[in-house]
Amino acid sequence: MKLSNRITLLVSIVLTVVILAVSLSLLLFAKNTILSLSVEQVQRKQQTLRTSFSEMANYYAANSDSDAVHASLVCYCFTRFADQTSVLMQDGEAVVSSVTIDPSAYVQQSDDYGEAEPVAVTVQGRRLLIAGSSTSVGGKSYDVYVVEDVSDVYNRISRMTWIFAGVSIAAIALGAVVVMLLVRRSTKPITALSETAREIADGAYEKRVMIRTKDEIGTLGEDFNRMADAVETKISELSERNERQRLFIGGVTHEFKTPMTGLILHAGLLRRANLSEDERDASLAHIESQTQWLERLTQNLLKLTTSDEEIELQSVNIPELLDAVKEGVEPKLNERGAVLSVQCETDTLVLNPDLMHSLLNNLIVNAANAYDADTPEKPILLTVTGKTFSVSDRGRGIPKEAIDRIFEPFFRVDKSRSKKQGGSGLGLALVKTIADAHNASITVDSELGKGTTVSVTLP
Amino acid sequence: MKNRILVVEDDAAIRDAVLLNLQFADYDAVAFDDGKKAADALEDDHAYDLALLDIMLPGMDGFELFGLMEQYSIPVIYMTAKTDSASEIKGLRDGAEDYIVKPFDPLTLMVRIEKVLKRVGKWNAVYRVRDIVVNTETHSVTKGGAPIELQPLEFDVLVALLRHKNMTVSRERLLNEVWGFDYLGETRMVDVKISALRRKLGLEDAIRSIHKLGYRLEDR
Repeated sequence: MKLSNRITLLVSIVLTVVILAVSLSLLLFAKNTILSLSVEQVQRKQQTLRTSFSEMANYYAANSDSDAVHASLVCYCFTRFADQTSVLMQDGEAVVSSVTIDPSAYVQQSDDYGEAEPVAVTVQGRRLLIAGSSTSVGGKSYDVYVVEDVSDVYNRISRMTWIFAGVSIAAIALGAVVVMLLVRRSTKPITALSETAREIADGAYEKRVMIRTKDEIGTLGEDFNRMADAVETKISELSERNERQRLFIGGVTHEFKTPMTGLILHAGLLRRANLSEDERDASLAHIESQTQWLERLTQNLLKLTTSDEEIELQSVNIPELLDAVKEGVEPKLNERGAVLSVQCETDTLVLNPDLMHSLLNNLIVNAANAYDADTPEKPILLTVTGKTFSVSDRGRGIPKEAIDRIFEPFFRVDKSRSKKQGGSGLGLALVKTIADAHNASITVDSELGKGTTVSVTLP
Repeated sequence: MKNRILVVEDDAAIRDAVLLNLQFADYDAVAFDDGKKAADALEDDHAYDLALLDIMLPGMDGFELFGLMEQYSIPVIYMTAKTDSASEIKGLRDGAEDYIVKPFDPLTLMVRIEKVLKRVGKWNAVYRVRDIVVNTETHSVTKGGAPIELQPLEFDVLVALLRHKNMTVSRERLLNEVWGFDYLGETRMVDVKISALRRKLGLEDAIRSIHKLGYRLEDR
């Protein structure tokens, strides 16, 4: 059952019970009041009638000589006070009566001369109040009755009951409608929330709810939208990352294809062709260099993927680190005829020494490769100032439009030269990954024909 | 006259291997490692029957070079490591005759080259080995000027061996190229044709059986 319907039903039931209880008790109270008023009235009327009749009859008829005179005087006295409700009876016989019934049949005869308690009876569909008591005139006992027809009073009460019922039903109906509208209005935003949640679940991550109320539901709407923002950001981050990974894997595959082709072709030649001694040597040399290149590529790929993870940092003596880097890179520099000078103004820094070694090594080899082979002097400067490592060369520089792309895996400014120098296309991508793992920033300052400075600044 | 083929490929290993394979099959091959250098050289000399172009090239890429090839009516086969279908489609839509995806099998490359040359009508129909001349147009074989009678299947096996001259060709591959499909279990048929060829053409020493690999027609 829908929440709004349930609330409406519950409130309607409570409303009905309350209204019915209130109107019933009001009705009963009113009915009792009216009835007791009528009873009092009848009682007083009978009392007045009996007293007045008794005084007058005793005055005139008490000492009458004959019974006939007595009777006619009594009759006369009674009719002086009687109306159409009055009855005078003697020994069960009506002496004077304006009504069609015999009141003595309904009221118990008593010798009580005091107040008469009225009795309510229904005779032939009429509701009657009968009050009667005895009085004595000249030693003879008479019964004085008042028979009041109170059907009208009962009719009025029943009319009143109907009116009460009508008003109550109208109030209940109106109340129910108002409650339903209110509940609908307050649950509408919940329906909107649920619809939006479903749409988001189906992939429409940009959907938001529009709830402008200032209540708890409004707050819920704001929170919901904040959550949707977070989900959307996360999803787009993930798909971006996915896309980067896809491109990277595509790049890796492409990089493997070329050496693989060389290997397959030369292996095929060695196996199937009648090669001369020189041709055989050349083929084997190609196979050797292609496999070495593949080995470098896989080494760098491994470093690239492992240095992507959480790294261990430690306090490192920088001059010692730089010495190790210089020693390690020296053979490659000698091969290219480049000379590395080191300036260090920093004692210790917190970093991962293996990864930083790798980073500096890559930057230095890149700097050496930035010189044309026939350049007479190939100086490379490695400086550490504060938290910044810089590697500078005076080589050919990087074209402006390429600077933004040099950290992409497999991007090469000059493809064929890079391959001749044995570059895997991953060196600077590795530098970037290591710098990112240290939360370090990289700046590249380069001018064509003048040289390049790459600086890595630790946080 | 030998068919002349232009090769533009920046990877030395692939370039050397392709050149060697082309030489074996009696093609006249010229190679460049840079698109720009190839384009410059084309100005003076563009008498090529076919061009084998890498797509990712320094200087000028394969798609750019294609314009020049069209200008000199040189049919093009791309050799590409780009497996994405978008670049294949672009290459073919622009009018390239064929493409071959790296890594490729050199024997397949030879078959494709021959098909393209035949399609564009530049195919040199005449093979030579020692004093034997094989004309694929007239289906005639002469040895020292004297005509030799060959059965049609013997002729086709001979042409397949010539197509991959100096390279070992497996029996399966011969079946495939001659009969057009894998004649499973019938590699004996090949042996029979080979011995007939050796006998009729006096090529007992030139058509060598290579253990476990197949046959090789040697001519160096």
